[in-house]
Amino acid sequence: MKWKKPMAAIGALALLAAGACGGSDDGSDTDSERDLDIEGAGLAQDPNVEPPAAEIEGAQSGGTVTVLSALGLNTMHPSEAYYTNTGSILTNLVTRTLTQYRYNPEIEGMELVPDLATDLGRPNEDFTEWTFTLRDGVRYEDGTEVQPEDFVTATEMSFDRTQFPDGAEYSNEYFLNGYDEKGNPLYEGRYTDPNGSCECVEVNGNDITFKMARPFPSMNYWATFPAMSPIPADKSQDPDQYALHPLSTGPYMFDEYEPETSLTLVKNPEWDPNTDPARHQYVDQWNMEFLEDSSALDQVIIEDQGDAQTTLTYDNLLLPDYQKAKQEAPDRIVEGQDPCQFYVYPDTRKITDPKVREAMAWAYPYEDAWLAGGEIVGVTRSPETQIIPRGVDGRVEPPYDVYGNGGRETDPERARQLLEEAGKVGMPLRFLYASDDPPSVDVKDVLVRAWREAGFDPKPVATTVAEFSTLRADPNTPIDYRTGGWCLDWPAWDSWLPPLFQTDQYANYSFFSNKQVDQRIREIQNLPPEEATEAASELEQDIMEQYKPVIPVGKGGVAMMHGSRINGMEVDSVYGLPTWRDIWISQ
Amino acid sequence: MALPPIEADEALHHVDEVPEVAETKVIHGRSPLRIAFERLRHDKVALVSAVVVLFFILVAVFAPLISKAFGVEEGIVENPSDVLDPTTSYGLEGPPFHGFTWDHPLGIAPSTGKDLLAEWLYGARTSLEVAFITAIAATVLGIVIGLLAGFSRGWLDRIISFVIDLFLSFPFILGALSLAPILINRWGQDAEKLDQAQFVSLILILSFFSWMYLARLIRGEVLSLREREFIQAARVIGVPTRRILFRELLPNLIAPIVVSFSLGLPAFVAAEAGLAYLGIGLTERPTWGQTIVDAQPHFEIFPLFLWAPLIGIMVLVIALNLLGDSLRDAFDPKTRR
Repeated sequence: MKWKKPMAAIGALALLAAGACGGSDDGSDTDSERDLDIEGAGLAQDPNVEPPAAEIEGAQSGGTVTVLSALGLNTMHPSEAYYTNTGSILTNLVTRTLTQYRYNPEIEGMELVPDLATDLGRPNEDFTEWTFTLRDGVRYEDGTEVQPEDFVTATEMSFDRTQFPDGAEYSNEYFLNGYDEKGNPLYEGRYTDPNGSCECVEVNGNDITFKMARPFPSMNYWATFPAMSPIPADKSQDPDQYALHPLSTGPYMFDEYEPETSLTLVKNPEWDPNTDPARHQYVDQWNMEFLEDSSALDQVIIEDQGDAQTTLTYDNLLLPDYQKAKQEAPDRIVEGQDPCQFYVYPDTRKITDPKVREAMAWAYPYEDAWLAGGEIVGVTRSPETQIIPRGVDGRVEPPYDVYGNGGRETDPERARQLLEEAGKVGMPLRFLYASDDPPSVDVKDVLVRAWREAGFDPKPVATTVAEFSTLRADPNTPIDYRTGGWCLDWPAWDSWLPPLFQTDQYANYSFFSNKQVDQRIREIQNLPPEEATEAASELEQDIMEQYKPVIPVGKGGVAMMHGSRINGMEVDSVYGLPTWRDIWISQ
Repeated sequence: MALPPIEADEALHHVDEVPEVAETKVIHGRSPLRIAFERLRHDKVALVSAVVVLFFILVAVFAPLISKAFGVEEGIVENPSDVLDPTTSYGLEGPPFHGFTWDHPLGIAPSTGKDLLAEWLYGARTSLEVAFITAIAATVLGIVIGLLAGFSRGWLDRIISFVIDLFLSFPFILGALSLAPILINRWGQDAEKLDQAQFVSLILILSFFSWMYLARLIRGEVLSLREREFIQAARVIGVPTRRILFRELLPNLIAPIVVSFSLGLPAFVAAEAGLAYLGIGLTERPTWGQTIVDAQPHFEIFPLFLWAPLIGIMVLVIALNLLGDSLRDAFDPKTRR
C-alpha cells in the first residue's frame, strides 16, 4: 500500500512506522535497557459475525469530531483511493465493501469480518473463483438499493490504469483478462475500453462470483479495498465528478468536500445498522481539515481547549511534541503498529557479492539514522530482522536474524573485516538524499560517517523531495543502493514476498532477479493457504540466507493523539490509522 | 553698477581683514571622507556598533580556533545514539534536560548530536562570508552600471535604465526557488561540488538582484554632477571619459556608496538566513538559517537551540544597520550636530 506521508516515500528517512502495541505505556522507559522489541497484533478472521455491530460499552451519541492532518487528501474516488488515509476514511466511514476489518479489543488487533457479503467469501479449490453473497436491503445514500451488478461496474473500473493510474493493480494482476504473462493488459478498464468487459465477474441472484486468471487466496482481503466497493453504473459516467461525491453505503456521506484540503462527513440516513456487522454511527459529523501545520496542530491537541477536546490527528506527533504530550497527557497518545517495514536495498546488479551486502548490514547506523530522521526510537521506529512482519501470515517462526545484529547493532570493525574478505575495501557507495529536506540531510551526514568508518567510500547524490521517488524508482539512476519502506496491503505473505523479490516487481528496489526464486513464488501462489504460508516462510528464510538481497532497517509505528473527550480511538494496524468507526464523544 | 562709496569702503575693509584671520586660524582642506570619520568618532552608537561588528568578524575569521579552544567540532563527530537519549532524542549532557557543561556550552542538537556552539561559530562565518562577498559584488556592479548610465546620454542610458527596471521587476524569491532544484540536479552527484555551486550561486543570486538600487542612486547623482563646472572643465581640456568617471566623479559618490554597502550587509545576512529557512540556501555547511529551521519545533523544550542563531542574526543585523545609519548621517553634508 502506498504510504501517505510524502516523505515516507523517502522511506527510512522521515516516515512514521510501526510501534508499541496498543494504548500508552507507563512512561518511565528512559533507561537504555528498554526492550525495543515490540509485539505485533495478529490478524484473525471471523466469518460468523452478524449485524448489528455490538454496542461499545458506555459509548454516547452525538457531537462533531474535528480531524487535523498536515498531509493532503489525495483523490477520494473509490477506484483510485490507495493511500493509507484515503483508503481508511473511505472504507471505515463511507464506502462499504464485501468484507471489512474491525478492531477486536480482546485480541487488541484487527480481524476480518463480513460486510456487504454474508460471509468471507467461498473460494473454489484452487482459489481461481470466489463467490460472495450480497446482503438484502443495503441502500445507497440516495435510497436506491445496492445491486449485485454494481460490483461488476466497480471491478471493471478497478481495471482502468489510464483513468486511475494511482489505483491498486490487484484486479489486473489476478483477475481474468488482467495482465497476461508478459504484463500486458488484456482488458483496459471501463473508461479506456468502454466496449469491452473483463468477463471476470458473474452475477447469479445475490451471488457474485469473481474469476481469476491465477490463484488468488487473498481475494477476501482485496475485497476490503474501496476499489471493490459497489458503484452504480448510471451514477458513474463521469469519474471526475464521481470523485467529488462518491455515493455512500456506510454510516457517513460526503457533505462538503474540497479536494486535498477539507472534507465534511454527515450521517447517512439510509445506512441501516441491521445490515452492518461492524460499523457504528455514534458521532454526528466529521470535520476534516488537511494541509495544516504539523507543529501547530500538535499544540492545539495537546493544549486541549474548547473544540480541541473533540479533535484528533492521525499524523504521528513530532518528536518534541511527543515528549511534551508524554508528560502532560500520556493517556491521550495512541501508540501502535503500522503496516510498514523499512529496508536498505543494495542494487544487486552492482553489489553482486552477498558478503558486501552483509558488510553493509553491519555498517548501517540503525539508531543513529532513526534519530537523525526524527523518529521516536521504540515507538515510530524499532528493530526488525525479518521481511514478513509480525501479525502477518507467513511470518517466520521462530524468529531468525540472518545478519545476527538484532536489527539495531552497528559494528564497523566487523563490516570492514567482511569487506576485506570480499576484497572491496574502499568501494564507492552512491546513494540518494533530498537536500531540501533537513532530516534527509542529517540522515545523509550520519550515513556518510558510518559507511566511511566501515571502509566504504560513500558518495551521496543530492536531489529534491519532488524528484526523490522518481529517481529512486528509475533503475538507471546511478546509485548503488536505495532505501525505502513497504506497507502491507493485507496481512498475508503475498503482500510482501512477490513485490519485494520477484523479478521486475514494483517494490523490488534491489533489482533482485533469480529464476529459481521466481519459480518458487509462482509455485507457492498455487498452493492452498496453509501450505502456502509455511512454504513462504521457508522461502523468505532461504532468500535471505542465500542471497541477502535486502537489509531490514526497522519497522514503523504510530503515535497519534486525540482530545480529552474522544473515546474509542485505537490503532487500525492494517492502515496504521485510527479505528474511525468506533470513535465516540463523551458529552 | 558700481558700488556706492561707503559699501566699497567696507568691502575693502573686509578684504584687509582676511590676512589677519588666515594668520590666526589655518584652514585645512578636509575631504568629505575625513569630515565623516571625524563625526563618526564622536558617535557613540557608531562606535559600539563597530565593536559588535568587529566581534562577529573576528568570530567568523577565527571560528576553527575558537571551537578548538572550547574543544568542540563542527558537524556530526560522534554517533548520535552515543550522545543522545534515544527516547527523547535530546542530549545526554547539557541543556535542555541537564546542567551546563563546558563540553558543549550551548548544548547539542537533538536528532544529530551536533555541537551547537560549533554550529553557531561556523554559522557566523557563513553569514558574514555571504554578506561581505555579496555586498562587494553588488556594489561594484552597481557603481559601474550607475556611472555608465549616468554619464552616457541617449540610447545607452535608456538601455541601461531599462535593464535596471527589468531586474527590479523580476521576482527574486521566485528566481531563487526555481534555481535551487536546477543546481541540485546539476551538481548533486558530488556533495563538495554541490556545496561550492550552492555558495557561488547564492552569492550570484543575491548580488544579481541587489545592484540596481545603488546603480539608480549613482545614475541620479552623476546626472546632477556631470553638468557641474569641474566636469565641464575636464571635458574641455580633453580628459578621457574613463578618467572623468573614476577620478572626477567617483570620489564625489563615495558617500552613497559607503552607505549603500553598509546597509546592504545586514540585508544579505537576513536574506541568507531566509533562503536557508526556505530550504533553498546552503545545505552542505552550517548556517544560522538552517539551525533556525531545525530548532523551531524544539522551541518549547529547548529554547536555547533557537535563541542562539536568532540572537546572532539579530545583534549582527542591528549592529550593521546602526553602523550604516551612522555612516549615512556622517556623510550627509546637511546633518549638523
